[in-house]
Amino acid sequence: MVKAAAKQKKQSFRKSVPLLVIALPAILYILVNNYLPMFGVFLAFKDYNFFKGIFGSDWCGLDNFKFLFATENAWIMTRNTILYNLAFIVIGTVFAIAVAILMNEVGKLFRAKFFQSALLLPNLLSWVVIAYIGYAFLNPETGFINNTVLSSLGKEGVAWYTESSKWPFILILVYLWKNMGYSSIIYMASIAGIDKGIFEAARLDGASKLRQIFSITVPLLKPTVIMLTLMSVGRIFFSDFGLFYQVPMNSGALYSTTQTIDTYVYRGLMELNDVGMSAAAALYQSVVGFIVVVAANAVVRKVDSENALF
Amino acid sequence: MKGKKVVSYFMAAVLMTGICGSVPAAEVHAEGDYEKVVYAFPSFNNIPTEESIASVEEAINEITREKINVEVDLMPLNIAEYTQQVTLALQGGEAVDCFMSLGDFNNCVSTGMAADITDLVDTYAPETRDLIGEEWMKTTTKEGAVYGFPTYKPVALTPMVVYKQKYVDELGIDMSKVNSIEDLTDVLRKVKEAYPDITPLVPVNSGETGIMQAAGDVDFLSDDYTSPKGVLMGESTEVVDFYSTDRFKELCSLTRTWYNEGLIMKDAATTTAAAAELMSADNSFCYVAAYSYPEADTAASLEAQCGNFELGAKIIGEAYLDTSSVNALTWMISSTSKVPEAALKFLNLTFTDKEVVNLIIYGIEGRDYVKDAEDFVSYPEGQDASTVPYTAQLSCGVLGNFFIMYPMAGTNKESLDWELEQNKAAKTSNAMGFSFNSSSVKTEYTAVANVVSQYLPGLQCGSVDPETELPKFIDALNSAGMGSIVSAKQEQLDTWMAENK
Repeated sequence: MVKAAAKQKKQSFRKSVPLLVIALPAILYILVNNYLPMFGVFLAFKDYNFFKGIFGSDWCGLDNFKFLFATENAWIMTRNTILYNLAFIVIGTVFAIAVAILMNEVGKLFRAKFFQSALLLPNLLSWVVIAYIGYAFLNPETGFINNTVLSSLGKEGVAWYTESSKWPFILILVYLWKNMGYSSIIYMASIAGIDKGIFEAARLDGASKLRQIFSITVPLLKPTVIMLTLMSVGRIFFSDFGLFYQVPMNSGALYSTTQTIDTYVYRGLMELNDVGMSAAAALYQSVVGFIVVVAANAVVRKVDSENALF
Repeated sequence: MKGKKVVSYFMAAVLMTGICGSVPAAEVHAEGDYEKVVYAFPSFNNIPTEESIASVEEAINEITREKINVEVDLMPLNIAEYTQQVTLALQGGEAVDCFMSLGDFNNCVSTGMAADITDLVDTYAPETRDLIGEEWMKTTTKEGAVYGFPTYKPVALTPMVVYKQKYVDELGIDMSKVNSIEDLTDVLRKVKEAYPDITPLVPVNSGETGIMQAAGDVDFLSDDYTSPKGVLMGESTEVVDFYSTDRFKELCSLTRTWYNEGLIMKDAATTTAAAAELMSADNSFCYVAAYSYPEADTAASLEAQCGNFELGAKIIGEAYLDTSSVNALTWMISSTSKVPEAALKFLNLTFTDKEVVNLIIYGIEGRDYVKDAEDFVSYPEGQDASTVPYTAQLSCGVLGNFFIMYPMAGTNKESLDWELEQNKAAKTSNAMGFSFNSSSVKTEYTAVANVVSQYLPGLQCGSVDPETELPKFIDALNSAGMGSIVSAKQEQLDTWMAENK
């Protein structure tokens, strides 16, 4: 009995050897890129000194973390980070699914390929380039919106880079424009994987296109949605630095709606260059992210155990 | 040895997040009996190839072997990544013996990057010590310990307005009457009136109008002028929050007036274009910045970058020297250096030996540059800075001793005298030599830096109303801990004053 089990185990291991070999480069990459640097977490608790080195530097307890909570800005940047990420998760998912479904309906013709590429293109641009595209629209003196759109409507121009109230909309719009195409690819792949027979049966029963979408496509996408959402929930304390730093052109007047944890850390530490404080900020974000993922997964497991990640 | 390698590998992995590029490995040379010194310097030119660097090294070594029994390894690093690369190299345990503080003397000292060379200076670099002089050596001395030598060059930055000559001529404006930043308003108005399409004043950099440098006698007490915190005003020895001073309020109202009358660029606070680019366009007239060269030289040297318009420059204030104007560029020996004595001996030569410093700057005569009878340097026929095998000419203001470098053709020697004179004659802050150690208020510094970058650009470019925004700014500063910074500075300053008076 035991022998047989052991044999089976050995066999299944032998079977998975090729798979492991295939996965090896990726595993190595993760080890080197994500696990090796973890060695440095204790820097977050040290007062780093070059002469004393990493091991010799003095411990300083939680001092490095203080700056994250020191001011009322702490509240603003945490709020911004979380709210933006929530908005991105919800709106981003809705748009990505909508696009995926539409693309699926367009079929496999030339136009489908064209739309796909066109939607994907913004994702290939760097944030700096996008920031300047945005600037071409929003420049208060020569920008397209003030100069062409608003002036032709006979309206006064808006000083876009000093009015913080407009930026939640602008940032979400820019985010969608850049990321929608890319995130819809995964959904397109999932839709392609749905058994065509189900749609056929529905058509025979006289279900309309909309009915098919809401009763077949969307429910069958649920596992994918849950997985992707859980993954982005884990990064809820991180923000896309380029989006929040480059796109608003680093304008001080916009901080109340564009400051996130990452930009705060960057701006604050540009002057101090402190290794310990940067490590502290990253550790804080990771730990909170980890807790949020575990919590979200626990909720999913309670509600719908099949779709939980672990 | 092996353990160390692993550690440095780990460190590199830890610190490489998001940073690409590697530090050229400094090899350990066992051959010969000469001590090997690695000299890492920032270059504003293209980084030359290995072979070109090697040939210059060889030429320098011929001198240094004989004079100080040392061989040098030049490590030119791109200015944009200099600090990062040096930091990374030191953390990884690589050999870098001489490096420059690049604006952050205090940080280099408080994080232990720089070695304490107090006991070595008198033996190995007395010439440099005497050249720099007691007054300036104070700026690189902290709590009694010497940490380096400030680059010896024109340091007295004089605020000037740089303008396009043609408008001044056409409108018959007498620039000699412009002697302060306030006097500028009338000139701007005249230009605006005659040419409504022109933006008379453009910013130097994003959100920087030059008013901070034209503010008068302000000692920023180790802060960057773009983000000052506690400062000394004029003769006073009381540390104050710069933004609560009347002077700052005046300057804000001044720029607000400019903004309301359309005299300053509308998006000065957010534009990412710098002065050179903005001045190259047809629709600009002038900008305000501080330079260390005489008026005519400054204007002449800027023309090429500013769209070849004929430029003029007018001094609108007096140079004011504080500690950071001197020690911003300080040459230091790394605390991890195994050969501090040799490194110091070499550093000494970059301040005192004409041949050595010119080799580093210009490379090899005949190949990289030619020199006329009066020692004026130009590039060989048909070549320029980007085509010669080796040049670091643009680093002339950051390496060793500027005054013993060969001048470039087109400059004149009287300017050098003027600059040397300015260095000596410029008004000097009461706290000259004092530098602030921010480690006790790190948290507040981070918070305050954020608040400053939020409000300062808008206020100094006039795009927000100081009546409403300035009080908000001051409130935000106070809640971010400006008070602690000011009192920490005051405390350190008082101690320093007591020791140095």
